[in-house]
Amino acid sequence: MPSTDSPTPSEHSKPEIAETREVLRHAIAVLGNPNVGKTTLFNRIAGIRAKTSNFPGTTQEARVAHIQLPISIEEAQGIAGLASVLIDLPGIYSLDLDLSESRVCREVLDGSLAPAGETARVPDALLVVIDATNLMRNLSIVGESLARRLPTIVAVNMIDSARRKGIHIDPDKLSECLGCKVALCSARTGEGIDTLVEQLTSAKIPDRSAPSDQAGIERWAQSIYEQVSAGSAGNQDDSLTDRLDRAFTHPVLGLLSFVAIMTGLFWTIFKFAAYPMDWIDLWFGSAGNWVGAIVPEGPIHDLIVDGVIAGVGGTVIFLPQICLLFFMLALLEGTGYLARAAFVIDRALRPFGMSGHAFVPLLSSHACAIPGIMAARAIPDRRDRLATILVAPFMSCTARIPVYVLLTTILFPGEPMRQALAFTMCYVLGIGAGLFTSLLFRRTILRGKSRPMALELPSYRIPDLKSALLLTFDRGMVFLKKAGTMILAISIVLWWLGAYPHSDPTQESIDLRAQADAMVDTAPDAEPSQQAQSFFDEADALDTRNAAKNSMLGRLGSAFQPVFSPLGYDRQLTVGVLASFAAREVFVSTMAVQVAGSDDVEDETVLGSIANATKDDGSPMFTPATSWSLLIFYVLASLCLPTLVVTAKEAGGWKWAMLQLGWMSLVAYAGALIAYQSVLIFGGA
Amino acid sequence: MFEAQSSTQPTAQIESKSIPLTQLMRGQTGRIDCTQSHPDECSMLRAMGLRPDASVQMCRLGEPCIVSLSGACRIGLAKDIASRVMVRIDD
Repeated sequence: MPSTDSPTPSEHSKPEIAETREVLRHAIAVLGNPNVGKTTLFNRIAGIRAKTSNFPGTTQEARVAHIQLPISIEEAQGIAGLASVLIDLPGIYSLDLDLSESRVCREVLDGSLAPAGETARVPDALLVVIDATNLMRNLSIVGESLARRLPTIVAVNMIDSARRKGIHIDPDKLSECLGCKVALCSARTGEGIDTLVEQLTSAKIPDRSAPSDQAGIERWAQSIYEQVSAGSAGNQDDSLTDRLDRAFTHPVLGLLSFVAIMTGLFWTIFKFAAYPMDWIDLWFGSAGNWVGAIVPEGPIHDLIVDGVIAGVGGTVIFLPQICLLFFMLALLEGTGYLARAAFVIDRALRPFGMSGHAFVPLLSSHACAIPGIMAARAIPDRRDRLATILVAPFMSCTARIPVYVLLTTILFPGEPMRQALAFTMCYVLGIGAGLFTSLLFRRTILRGKSRPMALELPSYRIPDLKSALLLTFDRGMVFLKKAGTMILAISIVLWWLGAYPHSDPTQESIDLRAQADAMVDTAPDAEPSQQAQSFFDEADALDTRNAAKNSMLGRLGSAFQPVFSPLGYDRQLTVGVLASFAAREVFVSTMAVQVAGSDDVEDETVLGSIANATKDDGSPMFTPATSWSLLIFYVLASLCLPTLVVTAKEAGGWKWAMLQLGWMSLVAYAGALIAYQSVLIFGGA
Repeated sequence: MFEAQSSTQPTAQIESKSIPLTQLMRGQTGRIDCTQSHPDECSMLRAMGLRPDASVQMCRLGEPCIVSLSGACRIGLAKDIASRVMVRIDD
């Protein structure tokens, strides 16, 4: 489809498939108000072929799908379909607003912007999706679209809801008034979708236009509405919606229902994610063993098993939680509840300088700060957005959970009630630190009040399972690609730092092995005696510890240990803390590798061997004071390089990422220091 | 601002009848007159459907204030915004 040479209307309306279809696909932009079922319609047409992308240089997300569209027999000439690209634009109320999402839509329609990976050019067609139950307002954006003089099709969605409400729309009359094709459809039930898809490749430039000023468009919309629509939604009995709205936004009842719904959400996530997480853990474990068995011992073996498989496994294990969170959130959004919850949260966050728009980003951050920070794109006010991005990593993400489990188990062995309390305290501490941070930044560098909210409250509905599943699949893939590739690279670097330079066996271990060999030599036919075996094990442990100490990571640990000494951390813990900068959960595996000396106790679990680990001088590593100090440090510290990278990208500069790192490190250090010294003084440990 | 384009009636007459949206009682219906706010906010509200002469019914008072727009959709407004939207009460 030619696009650079200002095609004439007739060229536009008859897509040319022959030579250029490999290079340029027939581009169709999908435009519409928020809450009109635009994305459901997009998913209905594109299905699993839809991918989440972004508009370069903006914070707006795009959904893009490469599909084959059916074409009429006379045009087909033996070709199965027209290679097309469907671009789902952000939902907007008007093209002319001074908002980031409106700007993106304007630029895409102008041909100066395209989703990442697509060629920027004027779209070949425009699909405007409007809500049949709210026709008058929706006609305004149709009026604005007509001015673009692009081949246009108008999809009147939610026609089933309109029918139930007694609204009748005359599609022929509407088509005549707009001067373009009109299709009545329902993305939820699939009604009218086939006809719409068939019409997509034969869109024509409208032969009517709308006034150019806002007041003119409104009058034009009203006049068309009166001509094409019969019946009105105005007489509906909305008493149930009224009652639900009042309950869900009530100062007390609203908060209680919010807490109940969120508790249910998290319970479901933690309960049901546990099984797939175990399977993934098991699978990566056996993959490690399998590769370990076929690849000969050496650097390549270590790189694959300890670097690649361990690193990727450590990330992928959190995929079930991330997917479940997005699935549940998509379902909740589909019910229409989230818009009400945003107002409840708005009331709670406003005193701290954040708005209800921060709700979804902060909630998502409890799974992982990366999707949380990315979700902050939807916050319209820049300062609100920045405050939310800076605060998001304080929320306790799932990567902290292994560390929380380890430390609460060490602190309260055999006391599940106290463990649970300490666990909850970690979450509360994170949220509290976040609110304090927001309050501080909104009074200093991000001075100003957060923007008051005006939100459309969608009708209460039964959520669309297919859309939720598609979104979940998509988010899962984004998480795997983004976090996976980054963590994979970091894991390899960490493995290299921890494995090199190789150390020769120490004199002590050589002597031990010699003694053990002598024992074996005296009885060559028998199995090595227990004592000989323990000498071998001890020699291995000494070598492992020596190698860890002399590796680059070990030397780094020794260099930084004085910094962490006031918090009670020895060299090994310092290495654990430094290593978890790649990803927090690395702490547990790093500690497991470092305390490998305890492996001689066969039945001990990883947690057990870490809990009983000793410092270089033989004293216990995890005293109550050290454990509390570590726990508080992990709640508050910005120990995640990928998060910093995403912060820099989303906030628009490394200075924000550095501010986040600096501030969180300061808060974490102070918190851990206070905890350590307090337990030392008052706890008698 | 809405008032510049919204009405054909003399200004003095409008002002005498206009009240802030927040003063509508629950269940009461009115017609949007103008929005006394920043032009960006006005344009946004107007695009959302709170345009001059649009019929609004008060569904919930307070924070947030919820209105039904011609029965077609519901909009939740922070009290702060709602107090700047002026309406004429239907007779």
